[in-house]
Amino acid sequence: MNRTLLLQQVLNGLAIGSVYAIFALGYTLIFSVLRIINFTHGAIFTLGAYATYALTGSQFGINGLLAGATLPFRLPFVLALLGGSVVAAICGVIVERLAFRPLRARGADPLLTLVSSLGVAVALVNVTQYLFGAEPYSYPDPLEALPAAVNFGTASAPVLVRTVQVVIFGVSMVVLVLLTYLMNATRTGKALRAVAEDTTTSSLLGIDTDRLVLLTFVISGFLGGVTGTLIGLSVGIAGPYFGIAFGLKGLAVIVLGGLGDIPGAVVGGLLIGLAEAFVPAQYIAYREAVPFALLFIVLLVRPQGLLGRAQVQKV
Amino acid sequence: MATFFATYDFLLVSMVLAAVLALTLYLPLMAGQLSVASPGFYALGGYIAAILSTKVFHPGPGLYPVSLVVLEMAVAAVVSGLLGLVVGVPALRLRGIFLALATIAFVQILGVVALNLEVTGGAIGIFGIPQPFSSQLQYMWLAIPLLLLSMLFVARLERTRTGRALIALREDELAAAAMGVNPTYHKVLAFTTSAVLAGAVGAVSAHFINTWNSRQGTFDTSVNLMAFVLVGGSRTFVGPVVGGLVLTALPEALRGVADVGGLPPWLAQFLRDGRLIIFGVLIAIGTVFFPHGLITPGLLRRLGGRRRAPTA
Amino acid sequence: MSRHLSVSVALAAFVLVGGALAGFAADPPIPIGVSVAQTGPVALAGQEQVLGAQIAEEFFNKHGGVNGRPIKLVFQDGGSDEPTSINAFQNLINVAKVVGIMGPSLSQQAFAADPFAVRAKVPVIGPSNTAKGIPQIGEFVSRVSAPVAIVAPNAVKAAMEIDKNLKKVAVLYAQNDAFNKSETETFQQAVKDLKLDLATVQTFQTTDTDFTAQVTNVLNVKPDLVIISGLQVDGANLVKQLRDLGYKGLIVGGNGVNTAAIFPICKAKCDGILIAQAYSPAYKSRVNDEFKAVYKDKQKKDPPQFSAQAFTGIQVFVEALRALDKKSPIAKMDLATLRVELNRQLISGTYDTPLGEISFSTGPGMGGEIVQKQAYVAQIKMDPDGAKGTFVFVK
Repeated sequence: MNRTLLLQQVLNGLAIGSVYAIFALGYTLIFSVLRIINFTHGAIFTLGAYATYALTGSQFGINGLLAGATLPFRLPFVLALLGGSVVAAICGVIVERLAFRPLRARGADPLLTLVSSLGVAVALVNVTQYLFGAEPYSYPDPLEALPAAVNFGTASAPVLVRTVQVVIFGVSMVVLVLLTYLMNATRTGKALRAVAEDTTTSSLLGIDTDRLVLLTFVISGFLGGVTGTLIGLSVGIAGPYFGIAFGLKGLAVIVLGGLGDIPGAVVGGLLIGLAEAFVPAQYIAYREAVPFALLFIVLLVRPQGLLGRAQVQKV
Repeated sequence: MATFFATYDFLLVSMVLAAVLALTLYLPLMAGQLSVASPGFYALGGYIAAILSTKVFHPGPGLYPVSLVVLEMAVAAVVSGLLGLVVGVPALRLRGIFLALATIAFVQILGVVALNLEVTGGAIGIFGIPQPFSSQLQYMWLAIPLLLLSMLFVARLERTRTGRALIALREDELAAAAMGVNPTYHKVLAFTTSAVLAGAVGAVSAHFINTWNSRQGTFDTSVNLMAFVLVGGSRTFVGPVVGGLVLTALPEALRGVADVGGLPPWLAQFLRDGRLIIFGVLIAIGTVFFPHGLITPGLLRRLGGRRRAPTA
Repeated sequence: MSRHLSVSVALAAFVLVGGALAGFAADPPIPIGVSVAQTGPVALAGQEQVLGAQIAEEFFNKHGGVNGRPIKLVFQDGGSDEPTSINAFQNLINVAKVVGIMGPSLSQQAFAADPFAVRAKVPVIGPSNTAKGIPQIGEFVSRVSAPVAIVAPNAVKAAMEIDKNLKKVAVLYAQNDAFNKSETETFQQAVKDLKLDLATVQTFQTTDTDFTAQVTNVLNVKPDLVIISGLQVDGANLVKQLRDLGYKGLIVGGNGVNTAAIFPICKAKCDGILIAQAYSPAYKSRVNDEFKAVYKDKQKKDPPQFSAQAFTGIQVFVEALRALDKKSPIAKMDLATLRVELNRQLISGTYDTPLGEISFSTGPGMGGEIVQKQAYVAQIKMDPDGAKGTFVFVK
């Protein structure tokens, strides 16, 4: 395999992988603190993308309840991104209060929470469709002035990566650094890890577990909104279901990296991206199976994932 | 009355088949294992029936012999059982959420394979599957015995040593193993039985919906099955059956309600298009207010009196 | 006495006038069923079909309906899965008692639900089912969605006209979609028939958003032409990513991207795509001009193929009803006879629709396979700012 092609495939893998990684970060954060898989992450991510779209002053199509609606103001893209992510965070909190808190209060099985989150995700996605219709939307492009792709090779042997994907990679690295710093170097992070270890003991020790759970959902929702908007920037908002496809692959990513492990989410995402990029051209039809085959194998061989600690069964 | 059956014959049989599928989730759950692999075996069973009936047993004109359908169900059951063994033995060493994830991966992989093989017809799937009955309602001749047999099997199972071993595993796997219950053997047994049942249901379903493709038996089906069991009741086999029957009927009942005259148009519109929203919300509410599902052993005891429930 | 008389006279007059008015209000509107994907992942197509059908309902009722009697569309969501479309069909056939059904959205759903209509002897017109074997499901199944076999080679030929040195071709298609799987077989055959070099075949899923791997594989073989069989969102993203990553050659798109809905996604990069169309907004005819005008008024863009096909489906029902009524008054027929006669009539008619002039060919055990006189190849021309675009006929 020649060097240019190799470099191209590596960069492709990192590009796709960083999209998975940034999605998985919000996913795994909730697991790390609450030990639950939150399927609504995909729906919140979608809502965030739509909220950003509204905040850029753009108009919604004719289908759906809010036909032709526009906000009376328009924000520049970055502000709209932040605003949309705040909306996503708020939605995340509402979901937590209404659907997960009652389950947590009575110590329900995490599998029950998983099912509940599925139900909520289905409802949210369909509410989105009901309000905004099923057609695709595109943001007014803030990166228009920049060239469409960045060349990591030479002029004669170009190795191109789309500019927006370079941006996404950059953002995912920044988020990784921020989250790791939060979890390991701040008091809040320590408190979060205490809650993850044992909720009852933490609250007995005076930690306000409720507030911390709230904070977790705020951060996760905000991240979801950022992810949704950035992906929407890269490929347009494909419709209310565009977050759901990430939900399943996201599972493979977080398990591979280690459930609840934050750097693990990024490692898992990049590895799966690379695995997908290196599927030989004639087998591309089976590419979809790659993340799940990896998931299956990892579960059989090393269920704690690459960076997770082995689970010790306490008696 | 005739209109009722003409309109709802398909739905009624779907309800019964869904109840049987719900039991395929219940079986591993008896041993404390959440396995959502049944949609994969369901898909496999459907493909076997579809391929056999369209390509191997060349059907003549007229109705397809029911005996051949039963034969297909048997073949599907055996093949699913074998695949269940092959997949189950390594996978069932996993616990809790890890097993659930492994079974999700299994279903996804099968889906991709089904999409790519010549023999399964790719995206288009297999169509023109011959009919053994002249009316949909007659599928009850296959569906109801299947449901009754599986209910009987599970009810009996709960009373035998094997059944008690499964329940012991559910309550505390380490303690059960310490007491001499072989966990892997029992878990694989439950998993394989579930696979066999799912394959048989798949075989009938292929004839039932006239066509079969990779969109049957997917993660969405897993979601539905989880709803059936967790809302219907996870502690007694009656729960999944009731859950399957009721939740399959629900979206269509909402469709019917939307048609009732006299509703304000926005409400009728919402009931029509918002069926999935209502469904999702009901699942979420169900898990909060009925965490062990609607049908619990306690409820059965109150209703039945005589029936001795297994451990609470 | 006189008061009683005047009241009686007034009452009688009231009854007479009321009766006469009721007589003019005559028969209730004719119900036609529409079962498309209004919810679920396929709702994007379904939405456009609903719109096309609604425009048709207003249009034909405005023009006198069926010889004075209006039609009424009854919508039952067919969802995006097979059982939901079956249930929708059952509802339309038995509860709403429609004279015919337009739908479902997907070929896979048609394979599941159409047999039910065949057994109930209810005519079905498929607006967007293009897989092989649909009209063969039964005598009551017809379709107005052409199976691309005619148009695809024309698009490739048009590309060869533009680039006389065209040799190498890369084909990409959505493997999880029946529409596109059928279409790509036709394209690949056309490439072989035209003695071009099929350098690579890549697949993707309609739900994919990232195509960098496929694009890399395609660019690696240095093709002169790329042929894409996908749906709107995936197809448009694929084009955008091909162009972003440096592909400068020609692109041919199939029916799935034959819609102005791709413009917001690929914007200025949509420019130059050659499209094999089953419907062209540029086709000049009275009915297409009127349809386009109404659609543009509502949606501010040209009608997409799905809407035009839905409109055509309803048009076929209405015109067949009109013709049938002239032969023998449908008000006097019972529902079962009406459905059978309607099916016979619609298959035998010719229609001047937004798709062009169409008629149906049939055979033993099958319904109507569309025979479409016009086949279009168009090229997309985008404004420099990438906001607006049009489909321009080639040649």
